[in-house]
Amino acid sequence: MDILEEITKILSDILDIDDRNISPETYLIRELGAESIDLLELAVALNSRFKIDVNDDEIFLRKLRQYITKAGQQNKDILQYLAEKIPFLTRKRLEDIITDLEGGPTLKVKDLIAYVERQRNGN
Amino acid sequence: MKFTGNRALILGGSCDIAIALARRMIEEGLFPILTYRNEKGRDYILENIENSPKKFSSFYLEFGNRDSIDSMLQQTGDEIDFMVDFAQSNFESLVASADSESVYSYFAENVSFRAEVVKRVARIMMKNKRGRLVYISSSAAARPNHGQGFYAAAKLASEAIYKNLGLELGAHGITTVTLRPGYIDSGRGRKFIQTHSKEVIDKMPIKRALAKKEVAEAILFYLSDSAAGFNATEISMDGGLTAGK
Repeated sequence: MDILEEITKILSDILDIDDRNISPETYLIRELGAESIDLLELAVALNSRFKIDVNDDEIFLRKLRQYITKAGQQNKDILQYLAEKIPFLTRKRLEDIITDLEGGPTLKVKDLIAYVERQRNGN
Repeated sequence: MKFTGNRALILGGSCDIAIALARRMIEEGLFPILTYRNEKGRDYILENIENSPKKFSSFYLEFGNRDSIDSMLQQTGDEIDFMVDFAQSNFESLVASADSESVYSYFAENVSFRAEVVKRVARIMMKNKRGRLVYISSSAAARPNHGQGFYAAAKLASEAIYKNLGLELGAHGITTVTLRPGYIDSGRGRKFIQTHSKEVIDKMPIKRALAKKEVAEAILFYLSDSAAGFNATEISMDGGLTAGK
């Protein structure tokens, strides 16, 4: 079973939804309605299933808007700043996130996959 | 008593009540895992729990030393069903005369560090979809003596952490209780009682201090299935000390 399949199974269990509603492009909060307790459960499940350390703030991009504000305050290039702070996402993905901020929380299933891959390779 | 689970982590495991509790746990078929913060504590545990080493274990955990959480949890593994938290260093000072650096480090050790341990253990319990935690606070949380302001503040802050854990994870099978014992004829309390015996007896409506065994027995009850309905709450066990003026 690959990472997407595993994450899909975990999410469908936690959120009690059909796994056909979940793809790499699915937004966790905007579309699936994941709440903070669901994300905590997800973090624990990912730690258990993949044997990786999970930092909730990192994987769920909780400091994203804070980073953007700081980059602005320090007159730094936002994309470059985010690439340093969120190293598990590609520049392309970070560009998409920056243009997508007005729609609400940007976290997608594929971001979780990227995090798991980075943590696995690091271990 | 009936229990759901077997392995019980006891923080601050070298105090006399923790040892009394561990002995009772062994009698009840539970497996206590006691933490100590130095060799003296380790030796005290080993000297005072007389039975085969297979019936309990003990590990180093020093509040304030974050590396010690990792090493302890690597050894305990992912099987923790219960946690009883006695750990708390003492800090007596009048609020207006306290050394500021000591205040900062006291709260880092006794509140922030505890929050990290609680978080880590709760996440282990979430994997198993069950867990019961009992935090040992103090009647000082409700009614501190002069000089106990920081001790009481750390206890109240820690109580709030446990209370919220029970609120947030109760639906996931993880529940918490805080016990606030009054004067206990044991450890730190014994020294105070010896020097203030008349004052203590006069204050206690039951006219005696608590025995460590009865506190250990109460903790065991709050870990048992019979007490499953208690969650996210504080219970006073002080012989009525804090009820009146």
